[in-house]
Amino acid sequence: MTGPNPFSIALSPSKLRSKPKDSTPQTVARSDEIAEKHGFVERAPKKRRGRKPSPRTGQVHAKVMPNVAREISHEASARGVQQGVLIEEAWALYKASRKS
Amino acid sequence: MPTIVVASPKGGAGKSTTAVLLGTELANGGVSVTMLDCDPNGSLTLWAERGELPDGITVLSDISEADIVRTIKAHDSDGKVVVVDLEGVASRLVSRAISQADLVLTPMRATTLDATIGARALQLIAEEEEALDRTIPHAVVFTMTKAIQSKQHKGIAVSLKEQGVDVIDPPLMERAAFSGIFAFGGDLHSMPPQGNMQGARDNARAFAMQVYKRLTGEI
Repeated sequence: MTGPNPFSIALSPSKLRSKPKDSTPQTVARSDEIAEKHGFVERAPKKRRGRKPSPRTGQVHAKVMPNVAREISHEASARGVQQGVLIEEAWALYKASRKS
Repeated sequence: MPTIVVASPKGGAGKSTTAVLLGTELANGGVSVTMLDCDPNGSLTLWAERGELPDGITVLSDISEADIVRTIKAHDSDGKVVVVDLEGVASRLVSRAISQADLVLTPMRATTLDATIGARALQLIAEEEEALDRTIPHAVVFTMTKAIQSKQHKGIAVSLKEQGVDVIDPPLMERAAFSGIFAFGGDLHSMPPQGNMQGARDNARAFAMQVYKRLTGEI
């Protein structure tokens, strides 16, 4: 450490003055340009747009009577789920009924 | 409010420790301090959550590349200090923070590797000064130093000074209290004793005083 007493000066917040700094988009762009030259690149994680992909990637090709199609469609809409959810539930019930 | 940016693209150089010690010592001296945690690892946030924040300190977390300029500007007023803690990588966030700095501190351990990688921040500052047409005061602070300086430490310090780099004296020494502050939160005055507490307090206070003098133009 230098000096006989490093604590001899009391902190005086009023002496702390901010200097004007340019924060316009042009300045930021200039700063980015220099940064890239020195290998300081964009590292912010990219946000994905839109809804997340559904995990339901399996597909069945079921042709049903028009009234059944309408009822399934209405039920899915009313519950706010995919039609595949209803098929999964129906399949679970079918498997359960075969076990009993 | 003067903005102090703690920057080095080298990880493990002591950036967060420097930021916490500086922020808490300035706050202890009666200065209002806003600390910006720009490191995705959230070191400052972890410290802030560990214990009661000392009076006069506010910590803002998750500051991103898109937010940094706006956030610094929003807290820019006289009589207070903003301390920006950055991740140890070469990112655009670092350069944006430097563009808004009143003082850039580059912590480095006294090793050739730290000095070589830390020097990249100094080169970036020099170019930003030219492009933005303003002086950006900057200084190096050695961290985790031993009581007896190695030849490597002395050689690096001489080399930096010969190139006109401002090296802060005292360095931040390797102390149990400096690493312990992240375990207990708070500051060196509130945490349970870890090693030589008085030595740690004197060291941190003298370092903060040197930074303060640079902010007020006394150095």
